[in-house]
Amino acid sequence: MSGPVEKIENFKVEFDDKRILRLIGYRKRPIEIKEPIKRLITEERKKLDYLLHPASIYTIIDYAETNKHPVFKDAEKVAICICTIGPELEEEIKKLMEKNEMTRALILDALGSEGAEEVAIQSDRILAMKAREMNLWPSKRFSPGYGIWDIKEQQFIFRLLPAADIGVRLTESCMMVPRKSVSFRINFYKEQKLSTRRHSPPVS
Amino acid sequence: MSKEEILERMEKAIVEGNKNEAEALAKEAIKERMDLNEVIDKGYVPGIQKVGDLWEKGEYFLPELITSAECMKGAMRILQPELEKAQISTKSKGKVVIGTVEGDIHDIGKNLVASMLAANGFQVIDLGADVKLEKFIEKAEAENGDFICLSALLTTTMLGQKKVIEILKEKNLAGRYKVLVGGAPVNQKWADDIGANGYGENAMIAVKIAKKLVGE
Repeated sequence: MSGPVEKIENFKVEFDDKRILRLIGYRKRPIEIKEPIKRLITEERKKLDYLLHPASIYTIIDYAETNKHPVFKDAEKVAICICTIGPELEEEIKKLMEKNEMTRALILDALGSEGAEEVAIQSDRILAMKAREMNLWPSKRFSPGYGIWDIKEQQFIFRLLPAADIGVRLTESCMMVPRKSVSFRINFYKEQKLSTRRHSPPVS
Repeated sequence: MSKEEILERMEKAIVEGNKNEAEALAKEAIKERMDLNEVIDKGYVPGIQKVGDLWEKGEYFLPELITSAECMKGAMRILQPELEKAQISTKSKGKVVIGTVEGDIHDIGKNLVASMLAANGFQVIDLGADVKLEKFIEKAEAENGDFICLSALLTTTMLGQKKVIEILKEKNLAGRYKVLVGGAPVNQKWADDIGANGYGENAMIAVKIAKKLVGE
């Protein structure tokens, strides 16, 4: 039987400065970030205290309850998850762009992308732990739109999870709103596979 | 302050990304009844050109480019009503119709390209995100555009770029507009395969290609 739908909200999102700089365009290592840009990064980071509302929602289902898509083949169970940082940051980006504050918008957008990814990473860790508690082997996480798991499979995810509970909805073209959201699956297998992670499940 | 000093400071304000200074100098130029075309051509434009050179040399990165584009936009917002009042037409490198294709709601990359094109002398008509494919062509036709710029952030929505080029062919408009494509999943091969005129890997490259296509 499938497990209940669970919600996580107590995320502590940390930001990697190097990744943020790369996301805003410092792909080569710059000699020195100019003071005005440094100041903008600092100011936009401060806004995260009130703009970031990370949350995720997940469920763990038996293979029989999936839509039998080939990506679930051989899985004993499947964890399905949606993560978001909420809509506030994107609303602020929109306002900044309207005010011709494009650099600030760019910085905040990068912080939002990094924030959403961080929520996904933390949710992924929790779900991998759940797999191990069940004595199963977790795969890596995969999102719709990659490989043979078409973006349209978002509809399957959104049928399973009450995404509205964390303020996420799906557009007709299967994009998530807020955009700074991530959805994914982790297959739980009985045995270790090439696609499973290295750590062994706890011995029962 | 002499005219030369004002023009020099305008250039410096753009290069340094000093928006307050760029805007204050635009007001000063109006107050001093300076030739506004000269103000743009010899004050602000050399600044944005220098910014492009610094980017080429690897000394400037996207945030500096965008900050300078913001300054240019800020100054132009002040100058534009005066130019219109005096019925002075500014030189445009070409009219660009830009947007993110239907089904795709991403817009920051497209907005950055739009800002950089505008800062570099193109007239930009931004249709926003999730734009119906036919609308790009309708707008380009209605506005007598030169470029159609199509942004897509997903492998599914990038197909819209191909579709726009197909519609142009169906309407016997192939070659009428220069079509530029961009976005995370897009690359030069895709642009070549679908028959686009150019692929902008980033905002500055998009400007470079657009300039090249108008013979600069």
